[in-house]
Amino acid sequence: MTSQSIDYDTLVSDDRVHGRVYLDRDIFEDEIARIFHRGWVYVGHTGEIPEPGDYRLRKIGRAPVIMVRDDHGEVRLLLNRCRHRAATVCQIAQGNAKFFRCAYHGWTYRNNGELSAVTYQDGYGGALRKEELGLTNVPRMGTYRGFVFGSLAPDGISLDEHLGAAKGQIDLFVDLSPEGELDVRSGVNKYSYNGNWKLQIENAIDGYHPNLVHQSTFEVIQKRIKTPMDVFNGNSIGETRDLGNGHVMLDFRRYNRAAARGPRVLPTISGRGQDYRDAMVRRYGAERADEVINAGGTHLLVFPNLILIGVQIRVVQPVSTEYTEVYLYPTLLKGVATEMNIARLRGHDGFYGPAGGIAPDDIEMFARVQEGLHAEVDPWLLFSRGLHREGHDADGSIVGQMTDEVPQRGIWSHWKKVMTGETELPHHEADLRRVAAAD
Amino acid sequence: MSADQSKVESFLYREARLMDENAYDEWLSLWTDDALYWVPCNRDDSDPAREISAIYDDRARLQGRIDRLKSGVAYAQDPKSRMRRLISNIEIEKADNGELIVSSNFMLVELRRSKQDLFAGRSIHRLRSEGDSFRICHKKVLLVNNDEVIDNLTFLV
Repeated sequence: MTSQSIDYDTLVSDDRVHGRVYLDRDIFEDEIARIFHRGWVYVGHTGEIPEPGDYRLRKIGRAPVIMVRDDHGEVRLLLNRCRHRAATVCQIAQGNAKFFRCAYHGWTYRNNGELSAVTYQDGYGGALRKEELGLTNVPRMGTYRGFVFGSLAPDGISLDEHLGAAKGQIDLFVDLSPEGELDVRSGVNKYSYNGNWKLQIENAIDGYHPNLVHQSTFEVIQKRIKTPMDVFNGNSIGETRDLGNGHVMLDFRRYNRAAARGPRVLPTISGRGQDYRDAMVRRYGAERADEVINAGGTHLLVFPNLILIGVQIRVVQPVSTEYTEVYLYPTLLKGVATEMNIARLRGHDGFYGPAGGIAPDDIEMFARVQEGLHAEVDPWLLFSRGLHREGHDADGSIVGQMTDEVPQRGIWSHWKKVMTGETELPHHEADLRRVAAAD
Repeated sequence: MSADQSKVESFLYREARLMDENAYDEWLSLWTDDALYWVPCNRDDSDPAREISAIYDDRARLQGRIDRLKSGVAYAQDPKSRMRRLISNIEIEKADNGELIVSSNFMLVELRRSKQDLFAGRSIHRLRSEGDSFRICHKKVLLVNNDEVIDNLTFLV
């Protein structure tokens, strides 16, 4: 089945979504093809591979990819597939390698992808052109502030266009470092759940659920900091934003400014002191330094698979319609006191690991949603909260109150555009579809 | 069997039973005020100053963990895990200050929402004598699967 037989306009409207979008295998295959095998997908961060030869195994949709820094220091995305008979050439999730050698027949590639050796090459009668048989590059690669994105389609909108207003939020995340750089070598939490991948992206940028799902942890925090945790209240002055292109966020900046006590619960810059602010002012000037410190990072989804929350880079990996894996990579700030980075790590451990006080409770909700979705008599999910009061901000974003479902509507409206081919469709394919429609 | 060995076994079995039965307060009472409870992730010998852990709790954080689990709204433990674990391969060393460094293996069967999981690992306790028994001042748990996908580790290990 192709998208021509799935009526996405009926399944997704402004205020509701049909449960089939979380259950239907044809829709899932269509998502892999259109969103993950065509559009821009987050792969990794250059701060994970600082030295020549450093690499990480990743996926773009289902395609296994090696993110590697070659001997000349250039970061590359190579498909992990031998050009001979397709076996993966690298098996270990992370490491440092000068060569990738396919164990099947021994074809060996340099860490820039070039094919360097073929076993018993004379058996090809001189016809084998090694220079044409390097590991295939991911057709398009782009980076922003060290965030590496890839697209398996040879053409489409640029990464710059795709990121759009999300770039400013990525800046806030990275600029917390007085050197403007992240160290992303602090390990990874890996969790999975029996549910659709979109449950994670809807939830990560949802300001409506925290007071409920995370009540147990918020009570512990309130007791410790002796300050009410009110940013997720129905009357909070915190905001939700749809930045366009499916990128959405919780915006704590206005709340933090009014609270005048810096970022609320997230441990992004706890432990900061005058030395830290001084270093920030030296780097960015007072106005920008205070803007960055007040924001305390960001709380952002870069559609479709990158989430920045607190200190972490979170990556969503769809596996099947009802099974998803999620990877959390905490970051350290370059140029800050060790204590500040330790505070970032401990804050992360406490909240987001498998034994943390936040993420496991969200995962439990995903399981409950996915189970409930199978009661399909009344199949609609409602995303109408705050629809009557959302507005357009001067910066072009759609803005709502902290508990409004502005982010979810932003995700779904973009999802529909991608799935119906309105965006990111290579030109030749658009032509083919026009021809098919004319027939 | 030495007197230490017998006392240590009794203590570890009791701790195991309290964890199995989600006896949060009683388990917490086994710890000293200067406690450190550490479950590394990704590898056994990670550096907590540079890397994340599954758990890295001092006494105050441990108290918060227990308060949360007892709140009735910690949904990752609603329903609670049903568990039984076996403790074995106990080896005891004496530290310079008289505390005991006890290494033991565990195998834990955990059931939740009709799904039964198997966890295994090695625990390294540092035990301080108190009266006839011990208190835990340091516990490090080396999970066999600490570099794998783990969905829920909100029960006591």
